[in-house]
Amino acid sequence: MERRSFIKLGGASLASAVLGSGLLSWVPRSEAATISKTFYITGGTITMPDGVGVYFKGFSNSATGLNVPAASIICQEGDTLSITVVNKLAVTHNFVIGGLKPGDPVLASTGDIASGATKTLTYTIPTGKAGSYLFYDNKTTYNVFLGLHGGLAIMPAGKSNQLYSGSPTFVKQQFWIFNDIDPALNSAVQSNAVVPTTFTPRYFTINGLTSLPPGAAGHGDPTRDALYDTRTRLAGFVGDRTLVRMLSAGMCSHAVHAHANHFEWLTDRGTVRSSVWKKDTLYLRNKLGKIDAIFPFEAPPDAYPPTTHGHFPMHLHDEMSQTAGGGMYQFGSMTEIEFL
Amino acid sequence: MGMGNACYVYPGAPATPGIVTPDVTFSRGIYMNGSMRFDDGNSVTIWGFTDLAAGQGQADGMGGGSFPSPAMRVTEGQIVHTKLTVGDMWMHTIHHHGIEPSQENDGVGHLSQDVTNGTYTYQWRPKNAGTYFYHCHTNTPLHAEMGMYGGLIVDPKPNPADPVGTKRAFANGPIYDVEAIWAADEIDPAWHNLEWAAGTCGGDVGLNNLNPKYFIITGVDGKTSALTNPGVAVNMVKGQTLLVRYICAGFHPQKIDFGGLTASVVASDGRPLPTPWQTGSIEAHSAERFDCIFKPTITGTWTVTISFYHWRTGAVMGTAKTRITVT
Ligand SMILES: [Cu+2]
Ligand SMILES: [Cu+2]
Repeated sequence: MERRSFIKLGGASLASAVLGSGLLSWVPRSEAATISKTFYITGGTITMPDGVGVYFKGFSNSATGLNVPAASIICQEGDTLSITVVNKLAVTHNFVIGGLKPGDPVLASTGDIASGATKTLTYTIPTGKAGSYLFYDNKTTYNVFLGLHGGLAIMPAGKSNQLYSGSPTFVKQQFWIFNDIDPALNSAVQSNAVVPTTFTPRYFTINGLTSLPPGAAGHGDPTRDALYDTRTRLAGFVGDRTLVRMLSAGMCSHAVHAHANHFEWLTDRGTVRSSVWKKDTLYLRNKLGKIDAIFPFEAPPDAYPPTTHGHFPMHLHDEMSQTAGGGMYQFGSMTEIEFL
Repeated sequence: MGMGNACYVYPGAPATPGIVTPDVTFSRGIYMNGSMRFDDGNSVTIWGFTDLAAGQGQADGMGGGSFPSPAMRVTEGQIVHTKLTVGDMWMHTIHHHGIEPSQENDGVGHLSQDVTNGTYTYQWRPKNAGTYFYHCHTNTPLHAEMGMYGGLIVDPKPNPADPVGTKRAFANGPIYDVEAIWAADEIDPAWHNLEWAAGTCGGDVGLNNLNPKYFIITGVDGKTSALTNPGVAVNMVKGQTLLVRYICAGFHPQKIDFGGLTASVVASDGRPLPTPWQTGSIEAHSAERFDCIFKPTITGTWTVTISFYHWRTGAVMGTAKTRITVT
């Protein structure tokens, strides 16, 4: 799987450079820009930690690669998104930007993209749409589970450090996109068989990867290990308040649990919370649930002697998600929090 | 049972860095052959922690013990030692969930050690009063499901202006008279025959798929027993204030419905809320905690129902019930 995702931007929009290091880097502009991106709908096999190969589809950066999830996009209110999607697969797909809240209409859609066809979606983002979005394929109910999804961050116009105008501030931001994989679904899709009506997920990913604990092949490799994936891992000095845009692309609800600090919980399913609660565990709904929260990078409050350093996990507390293939604890949806 | 094959474990029992004389010490052993009997007469194997200082259990891990494991209760600002002793037949840790200590004392195997053949002393100093719990963090899906958890309450420092014995949820928080700890959990008997390292070396042992058949509150079957069990059901007098510490101790999402009473939720996950939240029910997911204040103004009996929802389908898998009786 091609893992490092670099968005190639249209000529006018160099200020919107995205996602080389994994962190969403962002410099606000006084003028709107056009953000151009081409995705290729591709398929391929990714090897799970237990050695099982599973078929995935993705919105990929090249016609021959496979990116699961897709490269993230960051832009600001007023920008125009120009997203071209090339369908390299044999069946019809589409590309939609989901609404902010459950039940909201999609922001924009390419409509059906037949096999071999190309469609371009053009959408000018109105004021008031700042927030975290999932783009995905809703041609079927299950295409999103296959890997056809990615994150879109819309910044409030002119702001570099707020989720919405007036929100608590942050200095870094990133996505955690969660997926739950039942290979029976993926293999049915691959072989054009009847899709199962019930699912039992066996693999659990964060930004497309599982954790690989010390001693495992690939441990520490940022292109393979979710503990070290720079898109996923939280690394900061005290004060490096990091906004995490959590999106559920998968079939299960999850309990997102950080060690070392409580999150500041800003939104649930697109709605700004009436006050900011400090939580060590956040209930991320399935069916395209989302949460925005800030990991504050404060010194771990209960350490004695006091310290400002250390490595800690973020893991899902619905512990079935910490496994692969029905066992292999620590090969699931987990990353690392490092106090530098 | 026994050592068996274990992979991706990080055995050790090192000295605690920067160890000092504590204000409070808990001495925990483990048990690996306890049981819980349900209202239908069936029972399952339960694992847990024992209180060695109280003469419970043995460090070799055989035999039984209380379920949930013995609670820990401390006061904010105290230096606490949790001494975990484990024999050489297995590995376990203690993670004080919601407590945020140093890496060495966080109880996460791959970032410190899985305790075996010795004792590790977890050193921590709680800063924030509230409701927490502790649990094993080795092969966690299995060990937590097997019962390796217990309550952990951090009380605020006494306020010198309060009468002696005044109980508050947190500093300057609400005063309460009666307290209940409701750790709501679900049991899938199919998981309760596995050995401690099951699945760690690979192979499908079903740890991705929890299909509970029993639904319990603080170690008591929620079908019938928890309605009246004195460790769970609340009996109080009109005019008193009740603090319910609700802990979502299972792995599937839950909803607790207070049966017509309105809770004033004053804290969650060991942190006061900016303003209390008035609600008749709470949706929660694994490991969330909510501190709920009730001040009933009339006498009566209210049935509290905890519904357990499948994490994927959202279907109600079962319920657990208890009661609040006000006389
Ligand atoms: Cu254990
Ligand atoms: Cu926990």
